[in-house]
Amino acid sequence: MRRIFYILLSNPLSVIGLVLVGTVVFSAVFADFIAPFPSHRGAVVDFSNFNQPPHWPNIFGTDLVGRDVFSRILYAYRISLILGVVVLAIAVPIGVTVGLAAGYLGGWTEFCLMRLTDVFLSIPPLVLAMSVMGLLEPTLTNGMLAVTTMWWPWYARLVYNVTRSEAQEGYVLAAEIIGASRLHVMFREILPNCVPSIVTKMTLDLGFVILIASSLSFLGLGVQAPTPDLGSMVAEGGNYLPDSWWLTVFPSLAILIAVFGFNLLGDAFRQVLGSDQ
Amino acid sequence: MSEFLLDIRDLKLGFKSYAGLIEVLHGISLNIRRGEKVALVGESGSGKSVTARIILGLLQEFSTARISGSVSFEGDDLETQPLSVRQGLRGTKISMIFQDPTSSLNPVYTIGVQFQEVLRRGDVQISAKQAEARAIALLEDVSIPEPERVLASYPFQLSGGMNQRVMIAMALANEPSLLIADEPGTALDVTVQAQTLHLMRDLVERKGTSVLFISHNLGVVREFADRVYVIYKGRLVEHGRTSELFHSPRHPYTKALMAAVPRITGGGIPDIAEATDAYLDPMIDHEAEATS
Repeated sequence: MRRIFYILLSNPLSVIGLVLVGTVVFSAVFADFIAPFPSHRGAVVDFSNFNQPPHWPNIFGTDLVGRDVFSRILYAYRISLILGVVVLAIAVPIGVTVGLAAGYLGGWTEFCLMRLTDVFLSIPPLVLAMSVMGLLEPTLTNGMLAVTTMWWPWYARLVYNVTRSEAQEGYVLAAEIIGASRLHVMFREILPNCVPSIVTKMTLDLGFVILIASSLSFLGLGVQAPTPDLGSMVAEGGNYLPDSWWLTVFPSLAILIAVFGFNLLGDAFRQVLGSDQ
Repeated sequence: MSEFLLDIRDLKLGFKSYAGLIEVLHGISLNIRRGEKVALVGESGSGKSVTARIILGLLQEFSTARISGSVSFEGDDLETQPLSVRQGLRGTKISMIFQDPTSSLNPVYTIGVQFQEVLRRGDVQISAKQAEARAIALLEDVSIPEPERVLASYPFQLSGGMNQRVMIAMALANEPSLLIADEPGTALDVTVQAQTLHLMRDLVERKGTSVLFISHNLGVVREFADRVYVIYKGRLVEHGRTSELFHSPRHPYTKALMAAVPRITGGGIPDIAEATDAYLDPMIDHEAEATS
């Protein structure tokens, strides 16, 4: 554990990633205390102060109905992170189970599960998510559902590949020979050896989930107003470019920071856990 | 109770593929008495390891495998036993040691955790404390210094020789009546291999465990086994007591096998004749001749 931190801190890029992710998570969790105008996350109207460029106390300016952009970005982070965590919390167990079963059991199980996975992978992710959202009401829950349906196959394929190679290892045979059940071999012997790959991919993916969720709401299929969301803030502000540039630039930068941070951290994990083997 | 602990009669194995049935074993008969150490010797691909897998019932699970003949363990024909009984034997009455000890241990768990699982296989009720005490005793049996430290270590933190000893201790933990050693220690260097073989021999002799020793290393077999079966391309070609067989090998394949061992005294790598039809000559059974 200490060694992992040491390696993380010895690489400047990992440190940047750690700081960015730390900032994003911190501002999402403590948005209530950091945000100068916590009430602005809802349907507040303040026409005396609308569409103002950055100034004190609205350091990122105000939007078309006078709400503080900075406060709204903090709350948007919170929603994005919740979405990312929930999506991965559902998609990863599904994908991992499918991948383990397909990789270890083989035969018809493997054929059916992996072809099903291929079907999901063959549809462009955004199109799949859009069609799910088009069928259902555009709410936060359905947004999570849409992103989850496109996300689990990647884990199924990743875990499938790792399982295929781990299943050749001696300890799997050794476990089978002392009479371990299939479930035991899958979840207690093979799964712990897949964890490094899964963790790395999860960290990388958290950024991408945020990106996809923002894309959906940019297209008007995500979280609906007045709930703040980075994607819909960018879309809304896009109509007033270049005059009211702060409406677009700051939410876009916020997306950039989150995705960039998670990517750097994911790369760092890949190095640390990869060198572990 | 029959005379033999393990009695294999006319075992045939084939794999069904697109090209038809590929025969791997053409009728193998071998037996092991209680407390006896029997070696099965042959080149790679001759069918040594699949024989072990069949005894453990691992190949029966493959839908493409076609198996005939009988395998009796402790007097019961395994084929007629229900699956639960056969699986119940694994890890309790029959256990196995592998070529590469380090890869046979799961890298994400400590030795202690893995030991506990093995012991739990033999006794579901065993508590963590009891398991640890028993594991320490077993590790002392295989001359491991500081067993507590070893139990707290991960497999990759130990040397290959240490892991091999751990494997031996684990394999004998539930006092099996048959131990299958599939080329044990081939992945280790020769001095470590010699040490661990000594240990293993002493232990199985003390506990009265029968051993099926699968190997291509004739030197090791000569020191370890009471009786030897030589296998070539899925057929047994020669069988006899170790001393007789090494003194007067009569089957052409056995002779070739012995000639193929490089001498420590020099003389270069031996020239090995191409496989001839003579290798497929019928089996020579020293024991049957002796009794007839």
